[in-house]
Amino acid sequence: MSTDTFEANSVLGIDIGSINTRALLFDVVENSYHFIASGAAPSTHTEPYFDIGQGVFDSITRLQESTGRMLLDNEGNLLIPSRVGGEGVDRFVVTVSCTTFLKIVTFGLLNDVSLDSVNKLAYSIHGKVVESIGINDRRPLHAQLDAVLAANPDLILFAGGTEGGASRSILRMSSLIANILEILPAPQRPRILYCGNSKLGKRLSDGFSRLTQVKLTRNIHPTIDDEVLEPALKDLDEMVMDMQQAKLGGLDRMAPLCSTPPILSSQGFHNVVRFLGKQYDPAKGVFAVDIGGTHSVAAYANHDVSNLHTFSYGLGSGISSIADKTSIKDLMMWLDGSRSEEEVMDYLWQRSLYPNSIATNKTDLDLELAATRHILRLIMRDLELRNALPTNRFEPILISGSALNRTVTPLQSLLVILDGIQPLGICPMILDKHGMLGILGAAGRLDPLLPVQVLESTAFTNLATVINAVSNAKPGSAIMQARLVYANGSYLDAEIKQGSILSLPLASGETGELQLKMLRRTVIEDVNISNEPILVRGGVCGVVIDARGRPLQLPEQAEKRRELFHNWEFMLGGK
Amino acid sequence: MHAQMTHVHPLVFIRRNRVLPVPGVVTVRTGQKVTPSDVIAEVEIPTRHYLVDVYRSLGMKTPAEAERLIERKPGDLLQKNDIIAETGGMFSRVIRTPGPGKIVSISGGRVLIESDSRKIFKTAGMSGMVTEIIGERGAIVETSGTLIQGVWGNMQTGSGGLVIQQEYVDGELLPSAIGLNVRRAVLAAGFCKSPEVLQAAAVAEVSGIILGTISSSIIPVAEAQPYPIIVLGGFGKFGLDPLSKKVLVSSSGREVAINAVKWDRVTGERPEIIISLPSDGEPYPVELEYEAGQIVRVHASEHLGKVGTVQKIIPGLSRLPNGLRASAAAVKFESGEMSVVPLANLDVLHMTSEFLGTTDEGG
Repeated sequence: MSTDTFEANSVLGIDIGSINTRALLFDVVENSYHFIASGAAPSTHTEPYFDIGQGVFDSITRLQESTGRMLLDNEGNLLIPSRVGGEGVDRFVVTVSCTTFLKIVTFGLLNDVSLDSVNKLAYSIHGKVVESIGINDRRPLHAQLDAVLAANPDLILFAGGTEGGASRSILRMSSLIANILEILPAPQRPRILYCGNSKLGKRLSDGFSRLTQVKLTRNIHPTIDDEVLEPALKDLDEMVMDMQQAKLGGLDRMAPLCSTPPILSSQGFHNVVRFLGKQYDPAKGVFAVDIGGTHSVAAYANHDVSNLHTFSYGLGSGISSIADKTSIKDLMMWLDGSRSEEEVMDYLWQRSLYPNSIATNKTDLDLELAATRHILRLIMRDLELRNALPTNRFEPILISGSALNRTVTPLQSLLVILDGIQPLGICPMILDKHGMLGILGAAGRLDPLLPVQVLESTAFTNLATVINAVSNAKPGSAIMQARLVYANGSYLDAEIKQGSILSLPLASGETGELQLKMLRRTVIEDVNISNEPILVRGGVCGVVIDARGRPLQLPEQAEKRRELFHNWEFMLGGK
Repeated sequence: MHAQMTHVHPLVFIRRNRVLPVPGVVTVRTGQKVTPSDVIAEVEIPTRHYLVDVYRSLGMKTPAEAERLIERKPGDLLQKNDIIAETGGMFSRVIRTPGPGKIVSISGGRVLIESDSRKIFKTAGMSGMVTEIIGERGAIVETSGTLIQGVWGNMQTGSGGLVIQQEYVDGELLPSAIGLNVRRAVLAAGFCKSPEVLQAAAVAEVSGIILGTISSSIIPVAEAQPYPIIVLGGFGKFGLDPLSKKVLVSSSGREVAINAVKWDRVTGERPEIIISLPSDGEPYPVELEYEAGQIVRVHASEHLGKVGTVQKIIPGLSRLPNGLRASAAAVKFESGEMSVVPLANLDVLHMTSEFLGTTDEGG
C-alpha cells in the first residue's frame, strides 16, 4: 500500500461513552465539511477488557463496514494521515464521557461570593460536592477537618479572595487543607484546583505540591461583583481529563495519535453550545441536553453567558439515582397505569444492572421514555434551583443521547423532549441523532469551520419548530387561530384548543409563514403577536403548536392519562 | 459481538485479589491456608482529630515563635490534659491536650492530634491458599471449587453451611424458612419481597442469604442487614435460574463463602459465591463471542429471567415487536418457545458441563 499523502481534511472522531464507543467520520465534500457516517460498539474500559482499545477498534471496524472506506491497516492500526487512494484519515480526535464519579470538596471565603462560584464550577463535572467550607462555617476546625476526611474527596476546589484582596483567611484555610492532606495516605489525597486570589497562587502551590498535584487557574472572583468561570472551567476539565486518563486503560496509548489532546465530551459539548449561543437571538439562548448512561449534561449559552451542568441522572447505571432520589410517583404520572410502582421500580433497577439492554415491547419502551421525561424534568428542576437559566425560551433546543434515538418515530422523541423540558415561546427542536455534539466541539479545536458546516448540514434531525401557547381558558375552548402559508402560496388553517397539541405539516428544510390570531388572552411568552406573520422552519414533525399549558397538568386517574397520551400522539400525526 | 457473561461453574480454578483501598499491614504469608473470615490485611483509618492552635491561643507574633514553645513532636502519644506548649517564666501559660491521642503534625503553630480511628480489614472471603503478597495492600488467594456470580449484593461478606429447603429455592423466601436450624447457615431462595423475613433472619443469626431475585422495594432493608445477601438474577420475582439452582442444590451442606459486593464493571468486582472443593479445577474464560449453542439468560424486557439456548445469531439488525431494530439471536426457551431476543439482553450462563451432564437439555 502506498504511504504517499496528500492535502485532505478528513477527521475521525471517537467518543468513549460509559456504554458505547462511537466512531464518527467527517470529510470535505465540495469545499464543505460533511458528516459521512458513524459506527458504534460496546465500550471496553470495563470488565473483562479494562482497556478502551477493543471498543475503539470495533467501532472503527463498523464504520469501515458501513462506508467501505479503509481506516485501519492489516495490523489494526489507524491509517493517519490518509493515503492517496483515500484510505485512512487526516485528523483524529477523542472525547471521553465514561468518567468516574468524583467526590468534590469546595473551599471558599464568603458563602454568597467565592463559595457560591466555586460550587458552580463543581456543577460542571460528573460528581457531587460532598462538603463545602467557608469562613462562616460555625463548626470548630477539627470538626471541619474530620468532615472532609469522612467525605474522602477526589478533588478539592479552593477559591477565595478578590485580586489584591484578603489573604489571611485564605492562608488559614490552606493550613486546614494541608492538615487534611497530611493525614490522608498519599494514594488517597485529592488533587487541588486553586481559583482564588492569584497573589497567593505560587505560595499555596509550593506548599501543597509536596503533598498532592495542584493546578492554579484564574481567580473566579477577580472583584466582588465579577464572576469569571470560563478559564477555571477549562482548567478544571483538563484536570479531570488528566485524572480520567490515568484510570482509563489504553487512552495513554491512543493520545499520541490524536491531533489535539483528548477532552471530556462535556467540554466539547459546551464548546459547541457556547459557539451557537453567540449566533442566535440574544434574548433567548441555546439550550442543550445530553442524557447519558451514568450521567447527563445540560448547557446553556447566549451572547453574554454560558454554563455547563452535570447531573447524576442517566438511563444506565444512573437510572438508580431516579429511584433513590425522587418519588417514583412523579415518574408514574408519565405512565398509563398498566404497571404497578413495584414493577416500575424493579424494571429501573434491573436496567441499572444492564445499561445497554433494549426494551423489546411497547410497554417497556413506554416505561423507558417515561424515565427519560422524568430525568428531563429533574434536570429542569435542578437548573432552576441552581438559578442557571435566565429564561425558559430557547432557540434552539438540542437534544443528544441514545435514549431519544431509541424511539420508533421522531414524534415520540419530540413528545418526550416537550414533556420533559416544557419550554416557553417559540423554539426549534433539534435531535443530535448521532451523538456528535461533543466530538464537534473537540474537532472545532482543529478547524472551527468543521462544527459550523456540519451543524448546518443534515447530520442533525430538525424535529420541529414548536410554538408554545399559554392560556387560562377552559380546556377544549378555542384559544388561537393559526394559518400556515407555504412558499407556493397555499395555506393551511387550524383552530387551536386549550389543552391540545397539533402538528401542521411543513417539511424539514422548508420555511413558511405562520399567522396567528390569539383568542382569550392567550400568550406566547415574549412574542409580540402583531399582524406580522412569524417565519417558521419545518421539521420531520412539521410545525407544532403546543397549547397544553405550563406546567403540564396530568390527570391523577390512569385511565384519563392513557386517553390523554393517546390523543397527543394522534393529534401530532401518530397512530 | 462480545458476550455478556455470568459464570456458574460447579468446579473451576478461582484466583482473587484481596486488597485494602489504602496501604496497611498484610497479616498473612505466602503458602498460608486461609478460611473466608481470616484477615488478609488491615489498616487504621483516623476518624477524629483535635487541632490545637498554639499560635493564636498564646497570642504569639509568628507561627514559628509558637512552634518553639511546643514541647512535643509528631508521633507522640498524649493523655488528656498533657502539656503541649508553655511560655515559661514566672507567669507561664500552658496549652494542654483536650483529650488523649497521637500527634499527627505540627505546622503553622498548630498541633494536629488524632484522637480516634477505626480499623478496616480485608478478609479472604473464601477458603484457599495465599499464593502472592501484594505489598502493604493484601494478597492473592487461590482455590478450586464452585463459583456462582451474582448481580447485586448488600456490601457484606460472610460464610456458613448451605441449607437448602426445596420449597423456598423454587419460590418465595417466607418467614417459615427462618427456623431453629438456620443459625450460622446460608439460606437459598427463589425471591424475596418481604422486609420482615430479612429482619427475622438477622435475629436468627443466619450467615447469609442467596436469592434469585429481590424486590427493589426492600433494597434499603437488605442493605441494613449485618449478614451478606447476594442476588443472582436481578430485581423482581422471576427467581433462580435453573443452572444456579442445580449447582446450589447439589452443594447443600457445604461451606459457602459469599462476597456480596456491588457489581462494579470498572474494577471488575462482582458479587459471587465460592464453595471451595478438594478437587482441582481449570481456569474459566473471561471473554466469549455470542454463538449458537450457548445457554443464555434474558436479563431485560420480554422473557425476563427465562433461560434458553441460542439457536443462531441473526445477521444484521432484527425488527423487535415494538418496532426498534437491534442485533439479535434466535433463542429456544425451556418451554420449547422460540423467540428473537436482542443480544444486548442476553447473558451467557457459562459453565463447565461435565459435572452436571449436558446443560442444554432443557433447551
